[in-house]
Amino acid sequence: MSNLLSQDIESLAEFLAHALELEVESAERYRELADNMRVHNNLEVSELFHKLAHYGDTHAAEVEQRAVGFELPYISPWDFKWSCPEAPESPCMEDAHYMMTKCQALELALHNEIRGRDFYAQVANRSSDPAVREAAAEMAAEEDTHVNMLRAWVAREACVAVSRPPDLDPPHMPE
Amino acid sequence: MNAPATTPALRAKDYKSDIKPIWCPGCGHFAVLAAATKALAHLGLPKEQVALISGIGCSSRLPAYIDSYGFHGVHGRALAVAAGLKTARPDLTVLIAGGDGDGFSIGGNHFLHACRRNMDMTYIVMDNEVYGMTKGQASPTTAPEWTHSKMTPHGTGMRRFQPAAMALAAGATWIARGFSGDPSELTRLLVEAIQHPGFSLLHVLSPCQTFRPEQKQWKEQVHPFADSNTGDPVAAAQRIHADDGMALGLIYANHLPVWQPRNQATSSIAALEEEFRV
Ligand SMILES: Cc1ncc(C[n+]2csc(CCOP(=O)(O)OP(=O)(O)O)c2C)c(N)n1
Ligand code: SF4
Repeated sequence: MSNLLSQDIESLAEFLAHALELEVESAERYRELADNMRVHNNLEVSELFHKLAHYGDTHAAEVEQRAVGFELPYISPWDFKWSCPEAPESPCMEDAHYMMTKCQALELALHNEIRGRDFYAQVANRSSDPAVREAAAEMAAEEDTHVNMLRAWVAREACVAVSRPPDLDPPHMPE
Repeated sequence: MNAPATTPALRAKDYKSDIKPIWCPGCGHFAVLAAATKALAHLGLPKEQVALISGIGCSSRLPAYIDSYGFHGVHGRALAVAAGLKTARPDLTVLIAGGDGDGFSIGGNHFLHACRRNMDMTYIVMDNEVYGMTKGQASPTTAPEWTHSKMTPHGTGMRRFQPAAMALAAGATWIARGFSGDPSELTRLLVEAIQHPGFSLLHVLSPCQTFRPEQKQWKEQVHPFADSNTGDPVAAAQRIHADDGMALGLIYANHLPVWQPRNQATSSIAALEEEFRV
């Protein structure tokens, strides 16, 4: 498991601020991908990404609910304590392609959920604050259920082929 | 860097417009859009205080996707439009967005004079070393040996345009290079660029997934600049010339007088019309 934490998270409010950003960003990115796939007429993958965005919204709402009564610190976008350039559960835009298949989209989502889970697990292992450790462990467990759900989904789809179908109208056109 | 005085009231997503980007999935420009909305939210800028100006190209579509004032102008003329706007409305935060084709080919002359003028504005160039919108021709930043376009089957054979070196020589007072593969750092640079009083060039390596798929490798090739002496133009020039084009970070920052026309009319329109009466 790669190290996803650049520094330890030391208070529950700081942890919740991270969790909220992680979930909101993930939902936003999936929604963007879903809209983009619709623009490019890849409706099946668009629908899948919309579903994932909806899950992200639900998780963000849960974190928000949990944060009631806390004053969450404002964290500048570049000061979050994840060591990757983006929130760990956000699908990387450059991994998308307009002809990507449902299975490739599921693999992408699985990869992100695993990173989300690992991030929470690392916070749970490393924070010096027992309240942070407990909350992070709970979220890691919840993310684990998402990982398992996606694994089951991948299995249901019987995803074997990972290559994209041939592009019958390739972008390199004669000028 | 100054932190905002209060928790931002608007979130990044609030700065997104209802128009859905039509960029190819995987295009680097998406990360620039995300960085721009995050930077605006971080700075807590009211939407009506921001204007995004662009020319033509995939990258130049950015203003349509941001919920602020915007002007999608003529190819290569974004900086001229922006200078006019800033002259008339010095109170606005003016951002200009475009590509290497728009800014360094057809807009090259405007680029030099915008740097020289040092008006308080931020120029974001999304460099993918190709004309994406017109289906993949070589641009001024394309490597001389790139042969993948039928327009240049033997490569361009010309040395590349060096945006940072040109900007420094022409008088820009803030120059940095960012990468769409590192959106958090890109956001930090953009915030700094907007806060800088004067002309800021944020040169962003932003891969074209469709016509330059090999740019996926940029992730492995980028690296930070080795030294961080950014106030000295001679050191900045050395840094740019010693660089392989993939170094990221602040290159140069200096505070020099910002040019802002005083907007005090010395003649009335009626008097001008009188002069032209035949
Ligand atoms: C006056 C004029 N000349 C040429 C064009 C055709 N044209 C449209 S976009 C473009 C270049 C776009 O490349 P770039 O600015 O690098 O942006 P990208 O699409 O790669 O993001 C050209 C040459 C035009 N629209 N107007
Ligand atoms: S053609 Fe290239 S620059 Fe244009 S939207 Fe597609 S990937 Fe981006």
